[in-house]
Amino acid sequence: MNSKHPSLERLALLAQGRPNLLAGPLALYQEQEGLDDQQLAAKLRCNIEVLPKLALCERPRPAPHFRQDIERIARYIQADVMQLALLIRAAESREALSSRQNAALPALLAARDYDDDEDEAGAGDE
Amino acid sequence: MKATAQEYDFHQRILARDDPIAFAQLAEALYAPLVQDVGRRAGSNCDATLVEESVGQALLDYQDKPERYDPGRAGLRSYLAMAAYRDFQNARAKEQRITRHQVSLFDPNFQEQDIADSLGIADMVEGHVQAEALWQIINRTFPDARERRIVTLLMNGIRSPEPYARVLGLSDGPEDERLKQVQLVKNRITRRLRRRITQELQRTGGTIS
Repeated sequence: MNSKHPSLERLALLAQGRPNLLAGPLALYQEQEGLDDQQLAAKLRCNIEVLPKLALCERPRPAPHFRQDIERIARYIQADVMQLALLIRAAESREALSSRQNAALPALLAARDYDDDEDEAGAGDE
Repeated sequence: MKATAQEYDFHQRILARDDPIAFAQLAEALYAPLVQDVGRRAGSNCDATLVEESVGQALLDYQDKPERYDPGRAGLRSYLAMAAYRDFQNARAKEQRITRHQVSLFDPNFQEQDIADSLGIADMVEGHVQAEALWQIINRTFPDARERRIVTLLMNGIRSPEPYARVLGLSDGPEDERLKQVQLVKNRITRRLRRRITQELQRTGGTIS
């Protein structure tokens, strides 16, 4: 989140490691959708400056509290309730899917590094 | 000094786990004052990033386990400032140990040392690469979104392993093993980026813009 709240931005980045906050799933959603902060804010019909605050919100509780929690968060950041609900649902789905795919990720990233080395050695132009 | 009425109210809301905005509001209210408190205690020459990260960790730890705080014994701001300052001292001691082994990016003898912790990527490229050009390099070097998230964390000087572990999906298993995996990935991504930036610098004669 590279906007105008440097302090809360840093906290929001740190919060990506906390599973009970929205920071992690939101960051994953942004990455997978290729959305920058401006585009995310436009999608939620809110101000870009509130995104770190959104990231620091706790995840909405499941039904029957989901709607109430979404409405509370939406009022807090002055975002569109329906868009926020859809986005959080989508972000959590992607996160669930991603966590299954991530099981072998460290090994995969290590392999990618190795491939990069191999490419460089083979191509000789890097 | 006991918690103020406002601090007590925040604490009750966070304990109850039924108000999704309680922590965000607490962070809004206390983050900047805590950074000032801890920064003042840490001294004028302290690493501001380390101070912010320590305050962040203290707040997030409190959010995770609010029951550890006793509002009858201390104010919430004092409690968090103490926790953050303790974290800061530990982190600073660790940094100082690492700095003794610090190496230069442009040292020709520098090959495969672990630099992810000893030298932030932002420091490595400062003054040599414009931000936009750097992100072009990053996007080319790391087509995988999760790798780019790791790079973003590194670029922002995030030292805590938790956000990295989260990106990597390392939520289970022994902590030692998770830390090892995180360090492995950080080192490799840092090496790849360093290598690519070095190549670009060599190709362009020293600057990228």
